[in-house]
Amino acid sequence: MDFMFLVFAALAVIGGLVMAFHHSIVHSAFALVGALFGIAGLYWTLGADFLGALQLLLYVGGVTVLLLFGVMLTTRDSARISTFRYMLMAPVVGMLAYFMLNTLRGVYAVVSELGVDAAEAAPTTERIGEAFLDPDVFLLPFEVAAVLLLLVLIGAVTVARRGSSDEGAA
Amino acid sequence: MLATLKSLAAPLNSAVVQVEEVAADASVAAAPFVERLDAYLVVSGILFVLGVATILTRRNALYVLMGTELILNAANLNFVAFARFGDYGLDGQLMALVVVMLAAAEMAVALAIVLRIFHDFGSIDLTRTDGLRD
Repeated sequence: MDFMFLVFAALAVIGGLVMAFHHSIVHSAFALVGALFGIAGLYWTLGADFLGALQLLLYVGGVTVLLLFGVMLTTRDSARISTFRYMLMAPVVGMLAYFMLNTLRGVYAVVSELGVDAAEAAPTTERIGEAFLDPDVFLLPFEVAAVLLLLVLIGAVTVARRGSSDEGAA
Repeated sequence: MLATLKSLAAPLNSAVVQVEEVAADASVAAAPFVERLDAYLVVSGILFVLGVATILTRRNALYVLMGTELILNAANLNFVAFARFGDYGLDGQLMALVVVMLAAAEMAVALAIVLRIFHDFGSIDLTRTDGLRD
């Protein structure tokens, strides 16, 4: 368990460092993915299994994709991507993937060890669901969140739509 | 006046005392990291500072968004850690869930605004988007 904390904490801190100081925004975005993944792992070591999974789904899966789309649509220095460096790195990444597949058994061992401590804190999913639907606890924030998400959906489309402002260029 | 302030701060004080009890436990220093509140607070503090550094040193709007995400996550880590080590039940995790939802919504709107700025200014350099200046 201690080992897992150190791994995830190192992932989060190194990801944050690379994000803060790397000169390429694409690298920074991927470093942010690493940092968010590390934080999800830290949630797991804290016994917050549902929150960690949600962190993976929402942040690593959703927010990061949004961010990368933003980078893709607004950054103009894509011409200085060096193909040679990527070809150099491809075998390294391939070897890494191979070794990771081989060590899947070890990963399972680590995860099951992680599961032992998480079992102490009991699965939180059911209690979180009940708390969010209990009028005395978190029902109001839940409903406000629903309204806010609808507003955000409409607002984001309205703001980003081409030609929605004064010049009307489409 | 002072008494009013003290009564206002009373819940805060009890929370602090509670946390101090957790931290001042003699066995804590020798405990593994996963059973220590301060380890999580240190990680969270480092992430927060890195987020602030990103926001302050970059001029690209997307970097500022990334820094914001890192700061929100550092705060969330604090929520969950205190929920685990303090005697607060599940409240910290619920709050963290609400924060995650708000962060996702904020990200969507902010990216829409960034795209709009790029369309109108031809750049997302925050020092050049000064259209409201006299």
